[in-house]
Amino acid sequence: MTITHPSTDILILGSGASGAAVAWRLSKSDFKVVCLEQGRWIKPEEYPNEHADWEIQARTNWAYDPNVRSLDVDYPINVDESPIDPLMFNAVGGSTIHWTAHTPRFHPSDFRVKTLDGVADDWPITYEDVEPYYDAYDELMGCSGINGDPANPPRKERPMPPLPIGPDGERMARAFDRLGWHWWPSDSYVNSIPYRGRQACNNCGNTGFGCSRGAKGQTDVAIWPEAIANGVELRTDSRVFRIETDADGRTTGASYYDADGEENFQPAKGVVLAMNGIGSPRIMLNSASDAYPDGLCNSSGLLGKNLMFHPYAMVSGLFDDGLKTYKGALANIILCQEFYETDPNKDFVRGYSYQVARSSGPVSTACGYMFGRVPWGADHHSEFGRRFGDVTVLGVIGEDLPEEHNRVELDPELTDSNGIPAPRVYYKLSSNSRKQLDDAIENAETALHEAGAVEVLATQLLKVAGWHLMGTARMGDDPKSSVVNRWGQAHDADNIFVVDGSVFVTSAAVNPTPTIGALALRTAAYIDRERADLKS
Amino acid sequence: MPEHDNETKLTDADRLVLSAVMDLIVPAVDELPGAGEMGLAEAAEEFAGKEVKYGVSLGRVMEALSLEPSARAEGGFAALDEEQRVAALQVLEANIPGYFDDFVDLVYIVYYSDERVHKRIGWRSGPLQPLGWEMPAWDPAVLETVSKRKPFWRKV
Ligand SMILES: Cc1cc2nc3c(=O)[nH]c(=O)nc-3n(C[C@H](O)[C@H](O)[C@H](O)COP(=O)(O)OP(=O)(O)OC[C@H]3O[C@@H](n4cnc5c(N)ncnc54)[C@H](O)[C@@H]3O)c2cc1C
Ligand code: SF4
Repeated sequence: MTITHPSTDILILGSGASGAAVAWRLSKSDFKVVCLEQGRWIKPEEYPNEHADWEIQARTNWAYDPNVRSLDVDYPINVDESPIDPLMFNAVGGSTIHWTAHTPRFHPSDFRVKTLDGVADDWPITYEDVEPYYDAYDELMGCSGINGDPANPPRKERPMPPLPIGPDGERMARAFDRLGWHWWPSDSYVNSIPYRGRQACNNCGNTGFGCSRGAKGQTDVAIWPEAIANGVELRTDSRVFRIETDADGRTTGASYYDADGEENFQPAKGVVLAMNGIGSPRIMLNSASDAYPDGLCNSSGLLGKNLMFHPYAMVSGLFDDGLKTYKGALANIILCQEFYETDPNKDFVRGYSYQVARSSGPVSTACGYMFGRVPWGADHHSEFGRRFGDVTVLGVIGEDLPEEHNRVELDPELTDSNGIPAPRVYYKLSSNSRKQLDDAIENAETALHEAGAVEVLATQLLKVAGWHLMGTARMGDDPKSSVVNRWGQAHDADNIFVVDGSVFVTSAAVNPTPTIGALALRTAAYIDRERADLKS
Repeated sequence: MPEHDNETKLTDADRLVLSAVMDLIVPAVDELPGAGEMGLAEAAEEFAGKEVKYGVSLGRVMEALSLEPSARAEGGFAALDEEQRVAALQVLEANIPGYFDDFVDLVYIVYYSDERVHKRIGWRSGPLQPLGWEMPAWDPAVLETVSKRKPFWRKV
């Protein structure tokens, strides 16, 4: 027997970076809002950094990869045809529980790559369209950083000063200075000072596995409390399997399983999908109906296609000056955008950023997350001693261009713990991305040697690196070549919206979440302004 | 013969071999004996019992070791001298690299989670919070050079 709930105005699916933003924005007007989230609230004392075995938890029940974590709340992902594993977290706060909160913005050029470089597509919107929402999301989540970056347009003062860059950051910055290359202190949604009732970061270093101090911009602590206080209902342990539609293809709400495995139906006047760049196309594909034989709002045939990841190369420098650089937020140090734009002298288009990251604890060092596994046997201790606390990493984030053959589909056999079909991912590294990464590796080696590294090790393509999930329900003005319009509203149904990374047209060469959050706020503002018809 | 599913069960004889192998993976250093002699085989077995990947790797390595010709000589692995033991492990490393790497990780995980080891390498044991770490404060002077650069983002 299906349990049917009283109708709501707006039903948000997913409580991560984008879902929370929409909930918060709509909670400030008089929409009735319900959010369905498959995960649960995580208590501060549950985070690995509250436990002595934090490094073990990071590799097991708190692993980045849902296929490794394998919790009931996770859904499996078939990655047999992908050299990159998609990463995510499923709980209130979504992947912002796990993220390292490095928060650069797109450049104005990122919205115009077709016009400027003749590749992919232009976005239907500009940097200027998004800018006020970037500012608003920065304020909501709490951005630490400083004005004056010559690689980016001037912008509003960040709410907090930058995080300390540490001796390792300074060592790298000086090297960039000597090479005449750009660098700037990272923008981070990590509190450098107490902010809106949340504590300042105390540099524990384990940013990527949840912050028990509330110092990191996770939406469970930065956004949800206010949205709930304003009247939004956040319903946890609620796993959506289908978005329901009427004969005209407009949504009537969503069906989900509750914690007891019972089927529920939540009627709504409008539905906002925020389950991330894999989760949203998965559930849309699973919502095929007479109106939508190929998946919800898929008249373009592009749903699930154009998956972009940011293929990630890691170039690690080993230093011998004993700085012990495991102190400080893991990957929120400095950013180098010297090679951000297309260089006509190179054999690839678009460019890349370097995100500087630091060392971690003893288990990670030995098992080699940053610098290869330490050899066993007679040389073990001397090698461990050389590496422990003495590695600085240049992570390469290259612009991944959209290609239709890179895609998310439903797996014909694999399911989650409720029996909902799991996603299967096809992804091939393009030759443009490979050339970008090769160039980036070469330049990173130069920079690390300049900084004094005694040895440099490059990981050509990191497998456990699908942290950015984009492009699978792209936006555009033309319904034939896009799934949603410039407001994130489906071309095929005016009461269905997508607000996560699925809507990205291109990926830029920066971490995506400030852009995801800004676009989500923009869609919410549009609903508030233009869609009184969705209000009861 | 150990079972090599998640329920890896070792016999007492297996445990002695595991302990000897762990001493080769992480040998004695300074005042610390090797990982096996430190008594960490039990912790490795326990952890492997909880985590499928490590359970499987432990089972496979123990099984492969029991089949490895030099270790099958009279007296088994225990009767080999150190050089022969290392050679036996190198054979495994070449033949079953994935399982062997996971097994090495298993040994490292239990070894580098041990407080005696932390003391030796100068690492503060226990949870990262609430202490965190001290860091020198943000110093805007580091921006002196890069701030002089003219804006260079691409205009649209
Ligand atoms: C380890 C890691 C590090 C990262 N670091 C950075 C970084 O430094 N900077 C950056 O910009 N980005 C980073 N990211 C990416 C960032 O976390 C994501 O871009 C962002 O969280 C995406 O927001 P979202 O709202 O689209 O999805 P998510 O935050 O993933 O939220 C989706 C939510 O939907 C829920 N959901 C999914 N399916 C269903 C269903 N069927 N029913 C109900 N609920 C469902 C999930 O449980 C989840 O809570 C990182 C990600 C990871 C994993
Ligand atoms: S480094 Fe800072 S933000 Fe990261 S987990 Fe530790 S206290 Fe939290």
